[in-house]
Amino acid sequence: MEPTANPMTAQESLDLITRMIRQAQHNVRQSSFYFLLWGWVVGLAHAGAYLLILLNYPRPYLVWLITIPAWLVTFYKSWRQDRTARIVSHFDHINWALWIGFGICIFTLIAFGYKINFQLNAVILLVCALPTSVTGVILRFKPLVWGGVCFWLCGIASFLLPASWQHLAGLVAIVSGYLVPGYMLRNRSNNV
Amino acid sequence: MFKDLDPLLHAQLRLAVMSLLMSLESAEFTFLKEKTNSTAGNLSVQLDKLAEAGYISLEKTFRGKKPLTTCRITPKGVAAFEQYVNDLKQYLNHNPL
Repeated sequence: MEPTANPMTAQESLDLITRMIRQAQHNVRQSSFYFLLWGWVVGLAHAGAYLLILLNYPRPYLVWLITIPAWLVTFYKSWRQDRTARIVSHFDHINWALWIGFGICIFTLIAFGYKINFQLNAVILLVCALPTSVTGVILRFKPLVWGGVCFWLCGIASFLLPASWQHLAGLVAIVSGYLVPGYMLRNRSNNV
Repeated sequence: MFKDLDPLLHAQLRLAVMSLLMSLESAEFTFLKEKTNSTAGNLSVQLDKLAEAGYISLEKTFRGKKPLTTCRITPKGVAAFEQYVNDLKQYLNHNPL
């Protein structure tokens, strides 16, 4: 785009504005990495907790310690992404605030879980529903919106199921809410 | 009455940069160069003009050993862009295509 001798017409100005705004809109970060990381980690934790309950292991909750390295990887990766991102869109900022808010809620639930006898499964699934579906709306990616709906439905189911079955509901929610949309998002990013 | 279009914005490359920055919180020089398909020299001159007018802010840092210029639109720039679009609309209303 080099200077031209003729001034732009009004229509050319409008076309240019429209074209540039479209270019910028296509740059919302579409990172499937976090959905796949947390999908696998939480999925394995739910499956592990279910098996340990079946085996009558006295401390099945210890399986959740595998989320600690996932938190560290998440912090490191997002720090690296922020440092190397060529642009920051308004949607990136909203998405960041949404997931930071989600992280704070999860930390609070875990820290004060003892107050409700660690009956957290249903609550955590419901809390997961919101950022997942809103991210789907931001990215205009329906599988994530439906993923949020799955979290919500599995959250309701968890209120009604016994403790061991709640882990299976959590597994269904994480596969349909994070893993399936995560792989679809990765395929979409690869095909762009 | 049709108002004169802001001459600072009524130029292809400057308008392209402002349109991109309106949709973003910040953008690196290399991103703007790629999207506007401009040369580094020309883009640099036009960014300086927009910065002098207070329409954008330029932050010059380093990533490793490479210089890094990050551009952001300012509230004055947002107001000027909105005014430009309104003037353009007014012009089109008086001069239908």
